[in-house]
Amino acid sequence: MGAILEVQELTKYFGGLGAVRHVSFTLNEGEMLGIIGPNGAGKTTLFNLLTGFLKPSRGRISFKGESIVGLKPYDIVNRGIARTFQIVRPFHQLTALENVAISCLSKRAIGKAIGDQDVEEKAAALLESVGLSGKEGIFAKDLPHGDLKRLELARALAIEPELLLLDEPFAGLGLMETSSLSPLIQKLSQEGHSIIIIEHKLRELMKLVKRVITLHFGEKIADGTPDELSRNEKVIQAYLGKGGMTLATG
Amino acid sequence: MVRKGRRTFFTSERIGLFIALAILSAVPLFIKKRAIVELIILANIYAVYVASWDILCGYTGQVSFGHALFVGGGAYTAALLNFYFKVPPLLTILIGGGVAALLGLIIGMPCLRLRGPYFALATFAAAGLPHGLTDVYWEITGGLDGLYGISPVWPTLNGKYYFSLLLTALCCGLIYVGGRSSRGLILKSIREDEIGAMASGINTTRYKLITFVISGFLAGVAGAFYSHNQLHVGPETLSINLSVLVIIMSVVGGIGTITGPISGAYLLTIFNEMLREWEEVRLLTYTAVVVLILLFVPKGVLPTLTDGIKQLIKRKGG
Repeated sequence: MGAILEVQELTKYFGGLGAVRHVSFTLNEGEMLGIIGPNGAGKTTLFNLLTGFLKPSRGRISFKGESIVGLKPYDIVNRGIARTFQIVRPFHQLTALENVAISCLSKRAIGKAIGDQDVEEKAAALLESVGLSGKEGIFAKDLPHGDLKRLELARALAIEPELLLLDEPFAGLGLMETSSLSPLIQKLSQEGHSIIIIEHKLRELMKLVKRVITLHFGEKIADGTPDELSRNEKVIQAYLGKGGMTLATG
Repeated sequence: MVRKGRRTFFTSERIGLFIALAILSAVPLFIKKRAIVELIILANIYAVYVASWDILCGYTGQVSFGHALFVGGGAYTAALLNFYFKVPPLLTILIGGGVAALLGLIIGMPCLRLRGPYFALATFAAAGLPHGLTDVYWEITGGLDGLYGISPVWPTLNGKYYFSLLLTALCCGLIYVGGRSSRGLILKSIREDEIGAMASGINTTRYKLITFVISGFLAGVAGAFYSHNQLHVGPETLSINLSVLVIIMSVVGGIGTITGPISGAYLLTIFNEMLREWEEVRLLTYTAVVVLILLFVPKGVLPTLTDGIKQLIKRKGG
């Protein structure tokens, strides 16, 4: 399969601070890639650059062979890149169904011949697919954290994305919630979605992905299989620590 | 839309709206006092002002302090066209709305790049400029006195009343339907979290700008009608006082609900007039009541009342 995303020499400076420095990688169609690194390594900044919420200081980002640098976030979404946020951003005063319906009303979703009357059914089906069936009418402000994570996923899926960027999908979730969300992400990958996941819960991440990139102080220090990374000295020193191998391979 | 189980046409809100419309339609039949009918006409006009403000500010979360720009833009356009070129009122009202919409586009493009207090200040300044211009070009605008001798829309009081009611029903109906449509839902998402809306693929700038233009058009139409109703136009239609009054009416009624601000317009217009009998304490009482409402009914009068009735029915039912 060909590359869906190509990132070359991507760099972002905030004043004198290099949050992301010369990061290059390629993501193939249907591939699921993990990104790990300590806090402040530049993982979320990388997502913000890929989704247009930040403009890179240097470097190139190509999605399906076309540059997306300088495009507005909604233009990037409408080209087929959807994301979730590390700290969930639901529309609190709207119901779960309405939260998802907003994404169904995006140019990309509407462009796929979805009329207004179909929006509700599509949003309900998406809520069901992420395990939120029966919670359509509940306001987002009243949903527990685990459900909000699922809601974010449903909102991203409503875009019908080709590339899905998941920023710490397991953050703040208990063991049960994590183990129920994991198969959902696995299923999305099996359905052909290209996925990049930022995650600190390595045990869960390593079960999902076959390739992991490690960032440290904004630089890519490793790119390989979970097994390779668990034996990589730089990664062990920067992030995994001595118990890294156990953590990574479970 | 997009609220499961709410597909019935006759919702309690809509029944309430029809009852309100029926009561307003009966006003000239039962009230023969000219001053009261004129007062309700004024409240009808204010209802359009606040509803058009609410669709922009209550729905998208952009608090504009410059709504008088649209009102005054429409009012002066209609008055000048009618006064100098004898353009008939029906046409001036439409052109007035068009000019206000154009102002919305011109002002909206730079202002909507700003957020929060910066946006509020920019709209405040944008409305202040034409207010000053009325004085600079006093030979054309009549300066502080304004222009007298604008043609009436309708020669009879009843005709004028029903025209105002039709205009209000059309403008507020359009805003109400738009607010409850999928587009209204998108505006609400922008108010809730603009970044989240962008991440959902929504071109937030485009939606805000379109809303600015529509809000401008409707406020301009109401402003133009105001000129023909008062047979006069003056700088008060462009004043900050009017912009603030519109905000107060919206907040008192229940911001972001369309129906709330409309009820706020009627409530405060009538209340203000009732206080005229006690002129020396009018301003003090008016201010005190508004402050008390803001303190104890922060959601607004109508949403609080509706919630109260719903809870009461629930309790009786349970």
